[in-house]
Order: sequence, then C-alpha cells, then structure tokens
Amino acid sequence: MKDVIIVQRRIPRCSESENQRKLAELRELAWAGNYNVVQEVIQTRYPDRQYQIGKGKAEELAELALSQKPAKIICYNPLSVTQVYNLSEMCKCEVIDKFQLILEIFATRATTRRSRMQVELARLEYELPRARKIVSLLKMEERPGFMGLGGYEDSYEQDIKKRISRIKKELSTVQRDSENLRGYRHGEGFSLLCLAGYTNAGKSTLFRALVDENVEVENMLFTTLSPTTRYLGINGRWTLLTDTVGFIEDLPHFLVDAFRSTLEDVFRADIILLVVDISEPVDVIRKKLAVSHEIFWEQLEKATIITAINKADRLSPEELSSRLKSIAYLAPNPVVVSAKTVEGLDELKDVIYSHLPEWKRFTLELPMSGESMSAVSWLFEEGIVHSVNYGNNIVMDVEARNEVYRKARSLEKRLSSGNTAESTSKDL
Amino acid sequence: MERIIAVDISGRHRHNSRYLMVCAAVSLSVSGGHVKQIHGVNIKPFVSDNPPEVVDVVQMIERTVEGMEGVTIVAEEGDFFNQPEWLSNSMFTASFKYPESLSERMGIEIAHHISLSSRNLLLDPQSWELIKDNL
Repeated sequence: MKDVIIVQRRIPRCSESENQRKLAELRELAWAGNYNVVQEVIQTRYPDRQYQIGKGKAEELAELALSQKPAKIICYNPLSVTQVYNLSEMCKCEVIDKFQLILEIFATRATTRRSRMQVELARLEYELPRARKIVSLLKMEERPGFMGLGGYEDSYEQDIKKRISRIKKELSTVQRDSENLRGYRHGEGFSLLCLAGYTNAGKSTLFRALVDENVEVENMLFTTLSPTTRYLGINGRWTLLTDTVGFIEDLPHFLVDAFRSTLEDVFRADIILLVVDISEPVDVIRKKLAVSHEIFWEQLEKATIITAINKADRLSPEELSSRLKSIAYLAPNPVVVSAKTVEGLDELKDVIYSHLPEWKRFTLELPMSGESMSAVSWLFEEGIVHSVNYGNNIVMDVEARNEVYRKARSLEKRLSSGNTAESTSKDL
Repeated sequence: MERIIAVDISGRHRHNSRYLMVCAAVSLSVSGGHVKQIHGVNIKPFVSDNPPEVVDVVQMIERTVEGMEGVTIVAEEGDFFNQPEWLSNSMFTASFKYPESLSERMGIEIAHHISLSSRNLLLDPQSWELIKDNL
C-alpha cells in the first residue's frame, strides 16, 4: 500500500456531519484504491483559483509532503489543471482529485472488455477539456518554431476526440448486444431483477445469499464493476438477478455517461432491489437514499422498487424500528434483511414474488391423447403446474404468462375438436 | 405516508419587458415511491418589472401556499438558484426542503405542469376570448 495525504476544502457554514461523511468517503475510496492515508489536511474557506485551498495551507501541505513523502496527494474537491499543476509544483508530489481516484479504481477493477472500454472512455472524457491546458503547461518553457505550441495542442486534442468516437462506436455495438439479450430473456418469460444502491451497501453479499453462489465480496467500494446475472427461482417463477456497480454521491456526468450501459441493467429491470446499509447513521442513509432516488428519477422507465434494508443484524430491534420510521418516506416496499446471516431472505422473496409481472392462473381440460401428453410436458416447462388429474380427460391447474395462456387455450380448443397432430405439433 | 406541498414557478424569464410568473402549489400525500392522494391545488400569478431574486421566490411561494394543508414545502434547488438547503430553509416561516424521494419529485412535476399550463393559458389571447364569451 502506498502512502497518501488527503485534502478537503470545506464550504463555510456547511454542516459538520456532512463534511465528516464526505471525508470518510474519500478515506474509503483511497483505501479501495490501495492507498494508506497518513495525514488529513482540512481547511474551511471559499475556493482559491490558484491552489483550491489557500496559499498558506498549500505551503503547509508542501511541508507535510516533504516530511511524510507520500506517493500522492488526493484532494476531495475537483481540481482544475492549473490547480493540479501549481499544487504538484509546490509539493513536489503527484496531486489528483476524487474523480481521478475513482477512475484509477475503476481502471484496476475493470475485467471485461466492456468495462475496460467504459473506463477508457471516462478517462478520455475527463481529459478532453483539459487537453489544451495540459500541453501548454507542460511545454511552458519550450516554444519551438513558428506559432509555438498550437500544433502540439491541437493534435493532442484531436487524438483524444478520435479515440472517444472509436470507443463510443464499439460500445454501442456491445450495448445493442446486451439489449437483444434483455429482450430475449423477457420473451422467454424471465422477469428481470436488479440489485442497486450505494456502493458498499452489501449488494454482492445479498446477491450471493439469494442465488447461493460465490461472487467476489469485499468490504470495499466498487468491488463490482461488471454486472453479473444469475438465475433465481422464486416460488416457481423464473427471474434473473443482476448485481451492478454501486452509486456514489456527486458522481460526475462523464462517469455516469460512461457507465450508462452498466446502469441500464438497473433501469430496464422489472423490479429493482434497492439495497440500504441500515447500520450507518440516519443522516447518511437518508443522503444515500436521496442520491439513489435522484438517479432513478432521471433514468427509470417502469419498474417497482423494493427496498432491502440490509445489515439489520448489527442493530437492536428498538434502534432498527426507530431508524425504519425515520427513513420510511425514502424506502418504498421495505423489507428488513441481513445478507450475512441470511435472515429475512424468504420474506424478501415473497415481496419480490408479489410484485412480479402478473401471470394468469387457469384450468385446462385436454382429451387423453399423445398430443395432449406433449402439451402437458410443454406446460410443465413453460409455467407452474399446480395440479394434474388424469381421468377421462387431463385436467390441469396451471399458472403461466399471457402468451402461454393464449397458446394453451387455442391448443385446448383444437385438441377438443379433434384436429390433426400436425397442426398441434406446429403450434407447440 | 407523508403530507407535503410541492411547489413550482413558471415564467422566470423576461416576456415583453416584464416577468410574468405563475406559482402552483399542490398539497399531496406521498409514500416512498408513489403519490397516494392530491388534496388541493393553489395557483397564483405574479408580475414584476425586475428579475426575481431568492427573497421574491420565497414570498411568491409563501403567498401561494397560504391556507393549504401540508407539513413541508418541497421545491427544486434550481428555483432557489442552487443555494444550500439550510439557507433556503431559514428564509421560510414554514418547514421547507429540496426533493429527496421519487414521489416528492413526482409532486413537483405535477406542480410544474400546472404552473406552465396556467401561464400558457394566461398568455394566450385565444383563451381570453373563450373566457370572455363564457363570462
């Protein structure tokens, strides 16, 4: 682990708890980026154009950097190119902001081709508006030839633009493939469930508990970057559960855009399981839920939200109920669970089942024949067969989606009127 | 279920050298993800020669919500020039906050449609003709 110093400029008269929470988030992000925080520098003031923090504080930071010799200085507030340049010149150390740190984490965690491309796109979009300034700052002393720097700056910017358009093109193909896959899954009768929520809320642990599978789980931000989808059977209904990347407060737009195709799994789902870490302070939970609601509001098409109140095992029943009361207005369809101790999962499944797209329950009467037997086995595959009685006729109590219901009814009609086997098998 | 008053103001731009604004307030009962019930709607037009400032926005909202039932007034951050919530809250006599849940945002969307349509109606000469005929 490399040593880092973290810096936060606080806005005057802003609430102390919020500042503390933001600093804690930066600390966790630094840890997720494999950095060890050796010192924290905090200043309350309005931003300085040259250094973001005040000049005096920047000099203090430089002295600290000289004594501690950190690998990097990470600033919570977004830094302009000039601020990065000035601070790194003064501190003789690499200076990055929170967004660059997130990009670093994403780059180290990206494993699939899609996520690698998304990280590259986010990095380029972050760099694009700074490209000209970066070149002019780096070449400040050097002014070769007629018109000095123009050539360098333009070509660097053009290169970035070309790479962005190439990656976007490739990503649109990947996105089209995943849309087709989603359509196919819907057509096959699968309901799509998606785990969403703030990063480190325990989505992957809940995913593992629900589908009973080993997915990478760590107490760290952004453990999951590529969505993982697995089959989950709930009372005979087929669903596909997807684990996705976590939300984060103040996530810049270029990063949201870059990860749009990942987040689309959330927005196109039938049911969203919004996972909340209830063991955190109420203010933090409220803020995180509000961030999730804001993201849903901008993107959500038509989905039911079920709030999975996770890590309930860490609280006493009294504390849990008081916290539930105070976040009730932000938690639609709440279910208390503990992914770690597997408590409340059955109740969660029941709530999911009650919100799944409606299936029709109907009674089917088929004459006893070979074709009817193949129809019976087809219905066993396509729906939930509650009962079958083999008498003079086959009487079935079946629950299935609308398309299957319509097909079954027309089959019943045809077989009862004694139509040929050919048409039946064609229908099947 | 929470009881709120969702508010939106339309027309905060110059029109014929004046600012013709309509403020709509909707009293609602909301749950986490849904609007459960609409209890009432208030609409008030305002005219000003100068662009509205934060204090004017607060006054317009307070005059519109007068007599309405609801615990908290909810309006978008943009209506208060993106100033921090504590600052906006301190300017109101009633409880005030920016939207957090989906349902609160839905409430503001309803208020937005009402204020926008009301303003369009007020500015449309044809609709005045219709009103005159019915008077």
